[in-house]
Amino acid sequence: MKELVSMSTLEQTRAIRELTRSFEEKKRIRNKVLAFRSVKKSHEFTWFAELSENASLFFRRCGYTMRSARQALELWHGVMKEIGGKFGSSVLTYFMFLKWLLLFNIFSFVVNFSFITVPLLVYDPNITSSVHFRGLELLTGAGYFTHTVMYYGAYSNETLQHGVEYNLQLAYFFTIAVYMVLCGITLIFSMASSFKKNFVLVDPASTSAWQLLCSWDFSVTSEKTVTQRKNNLRVQLKESLSEKAQKELLTLPEKLKRFGIHLGSWLVSTALVVGCAVSIFFLCQYEGKLFSQWGPGAASLQQEAETLLVPFVVSLLNLVIPLFFSLFNKLEHYSNKRSQIYTLVIRNVFLRMSVLGVLCYYWMNEVSLRAPSQCWESMVGQALYRLVIFDFLFLMLGSFFGEFLRNVIGTKLHRRLGSPEFDVARNVLDLIYAQTLAWIGIYFSPLLPSIQILKFLILFYLKKVSLTQNCQPPRRTGRAAQMQTIFIFLLFFPFFVGAISIVGYTAWSLNPSQNCGPFRGLNQTFSVVEVWIDGLQSLPGSGWAVWIYENIIRSELFYFLVTLIILGITYVFYQLIQGRKELIGLLKQRIVNEGKDKSYLLDKLQNLHMSRPKKDTRQSKDGRNSHQPSLSGHSDAVRQALLARQQAEQEEATYSDGVSVPADISTSSALMQAMLARQKAERENEDYYQRAEDPPSSFSALSLAMEARQRAEGEMLQENYRKEHFYENPTTASSAVSQVMQARLRAEESSAVMQVMQARQQAEQEAGMQWTDVQLQNQAVSSSSAVAQALQARLRAEEESPASSVMMQVMQARQQAEQEAGMQWAHVQPQNPAAVGSSALIQAMLARQQAQNEYDDGY
Amino acid sequence: MGNKQTTFTEEQLEAYQDCTYFTRKEILRLHGRFRELAPHLVPLDYTNNPDIRVPLSLIVTMPELKENPFRERIVETFSEDGQGNLSFNDFVDMFSALCEASPRELKTIYAFKIYDFNRDSFICKEDLEKTLNRLTKGELTAEEVALVCDKAIEEADLDGDSKLSFADFENMISKAPDFLSNFHIRI
Repeated sequence: MKELVSMSTLEQTRAIRELTRSFEEKKRIRNKVLAFRSVKKSHEFTWFAELSENASLFFRRCGYTMRSARQALELWHGVMKEIGGKFGSSVLTYFMFLKWLLLFNIFSFVVNFSFITVPLLVYDPNITSSVHFRGLELLTGAGYFTHTVMYYGAYSNETLQHGVEYNLQLAYFFTIAVYMVLCGITLIFSMASSFKKNFVLVDPASTSAWQLLCSWDFSVTSEKTVTQRKNNLRVQLKESLSEKAQKELLTLPEKLKRFGIHLGSWLVSTALVVGCAVSIFFLCQYEGKLFSQWGPGAASLQQEAETLLVPFVVSLLNLVIPLFFSLFNKLEHYSNKRSQIYTLVIRNVFLRMSVLGVLCYYWMNEVSLRAPSQCWESMVGQALYRLVIFDFLFLMLGSFFGEFLRNVIGTKLHRRLGSPEFDVARNVLDLIYAQTLAWIGIYFSPLLPSIQILKFLILFYLKKVSLTQNCQPPRRTGRAAQMQTIFIFLLFFPFFVGAISIVGYTAWSLNPSQNCGPFRGLNQTFSVVEVWIDGLQSLPGSGWAVWIYENIIRSELFYFLVTLIILGITYVFYQLIQGRKELIGLLKQRIVNEGKDKSYLLDKLQNLHMSRPKKDTRQSKDGRNSHQPSLSGHSDAVRQALLARQQAEQEEATYSDGVSVPADISTSSALMQAMLARQKAERENEDYYQRAEDPPSSFSALSLAMEARQRAEGEMLQENYRKEHFYENPTTASSAVSQVMQARLRAEESSAVMQVMQARQQAEQEAGMQWTDVQLQNQAVSSSSAVAQALQARLRAEEESPASSVMMQVMQARQQAEQEAGMQWAHVQPQNPAAVGSSALIQAMLARQQAQNEYDDGY
Repeated sequence: MGNKQTTFTEEQLEAYQDCTYFTRKEILRLHGRFRELAPHLVPLDYTNNPDIRVPLSLIVTMPELKENPFRERIVETFSEDGQGNLSFNDFVDMFSALCEASPRELKTIYAFKIYDFNRDSFICKEDLEKTLNRLTKGELTAEEVALVCDKAIEEADLDGDSKLSFADFENMISKAPDFLSNFHIRI
């Protein structure tokens, strides 16, 4: 409560939301906090507090409105829910990813269109093509489109002078650069957050616990899927059981055979990839030769159609080769599913990277050196356009053949096959590839994102229909969240980094075309910045920009230093991680050890318990005349207490089954529980404990507590009175406020202390009563000081007997552990009806809780 | 916002927004869903906080819960009276804990409660067996069930008391990134 009040509004809301209480209680707490706040605020002087309060309220409302608005804007909420309900989270991952990429492209389209294209259209609205539209352009992107704003070539290098200056060159350069940087930052952030969320200490060992307790997808709502999932889980569990049995049987020749198959399939797939890359390279060169034979005029229809050869082959390879990879994957035998999926993903990534790499190499090294009459950037843009379009066509074909036809075959002709599964990994890789094309193309064809938007939109609905009509949910759900992280990582690491380095290379090292595009006449694209800075130097007041350019952007020393610093920081973090890992290992070991200790001690106690009855009879014989709290008696008391605790635990466990608990056990457990409660109380207020230990403890302490309470109440009343007083006399504001605050603090302190003591005493009294019962029933020894004895015994046992002091240590350790478990358990435990049996503990805890509540109410 | 009929007052909505992870629109949507379940019981006007509880048997007919193997446990866990009857506040609480925005800690606590069938603050073998039977339609043999449960306890039990305490459960969840996305009901 106190913590809540001192928090900022945002934290407060979060903390309240995270409480594991019912809504009613949360609301009560919230209202209290709010009320307290307003009281506090009204005591603090002036408008400032009010203003800040209003501001925070305003911001919170704004936050809610924003959230509502964002939800309203959220695309496809219903569709997503439907897919998640029918196919589970792992398939939903694909659609989420698709949506995310779509938003990315919408953003990039808006940026490019408004900063690059609109100014150009305003400046020169009649860019018309000399060629008329023939229809084939939609596929080739050439012909009619060549000289439109679609491509680099059409953009101008001039500066607009409509009131304000607008340098088209700079706009082009900076828009693309800023867009790329923003993309990078977004990717890094989403990757980091995803890593943080999903890769926390992944421990592959715990599979069946995971399957039992974490794998069920609560969002699934379709009956068919639920049945199928249940079946899958059953099959998987059976497999894992049989796998465990089989594992030992693997002989050396079998191992060798498996290794051979792995090696062979790796070799073949690498060979396939290399073959693809080489053939694409030669195909490109062949196409280049064809192009160079064209005249300078417009190409004929057939010539234009010839340009489709390369994208066709590339997309075909992208469609067919992964099928081979899947085939290899089926032949190979993997110990777990995850490594199988990863191998498949790695091979596919390898394929796409090498295909794209070869294409880029060809564009950078051969196309860019072509005759200056042609605009090579536009040609690359066209090539990318064709690739994007063909990729789209082949995605549709792939979904037709791979899903629709496969479904027809599976359900009509070859029943055994069944419906195809939706392959999330392959589909996501397709998306990543498509997005990479768009990123590379952004420099050469700034409006390529528009095509991409259309593509993704159609793809979304196509895949949705195909999924619901043709597919069944994946048999093995795997670990969807982890896969998602890996996909984002893949999107960033080879693909985005590749794309940005290609664009960067183009901008820094290649000569832009001399006759077209915004950078005509420059040696490099980047020179545009140099020219701009040169221009700035003559302007007054722009010295800082020039300085930054000279000393930071262009200075090798700066980058050298930054790199060094980053390397240093990375190293420090690396060391930190290593340290943490070691620490985690140690802590784990400690938990295991403590568990062992616990079970060892329990065993010992049980042994002691077995030998106890004999002693008891002996004690009851001579117990009448001799007072006999000898050493053995003391350690016996401790032993009893510990036993009682152990039994209390057992009792807790068995109570719900309705097993009746023997009376003597429950009473002694009550004592034990009371002791525990006392320890808790001690923990809460150690200094008071010291005082309470004094001889005339119970009654005087109680009376003391009562006094304290009265005092506290009196002070509260006073405080209230003062408050009223304060309202009447606003002139004495500051002093009255401080007095009230002090009084309240005092009241809080004393009442809290008092409550704790009360709780403790209550527990002790109850324990004492029950203990007396035991004494009367079992041994007929009238000892009113039973509790005191037990406590003394404990104390002495601590001092004298090393064995029982160990036990005490264990108890203390447990107590510590409880302490560490923290407030959550304090919340959870009282709610637990199973603990009803152990009455004393519950009462003690209830008393404590009450004390807590009343302490809170002190506000 | 141009809604003429008032289901909740401004203050009520604000309280809901402060205490749950929902926006006002979602709260209203939830109210609609709640009312759908028992139109004769639940009034449209909630401004005077009527104390109305919808029984478990009606709640579990919701399409979101209908197929869930743990539907009764979920509803029981969030029911204030312990009988499985839900007031609207409990209902909102339930979906707030199960929504996307709710943090790992909260979800962990509630998941633990759901899996703890006998409410003894431990997930013991018995609980696991019940879980497993719900997840596999009881088609595994008793021996297999016992094997799987033993294995699960062995894997997740840190302190060696052959049952899973909350700490064990929490530790396991922290290693299972999927849990967050799986323990999620879209409303």
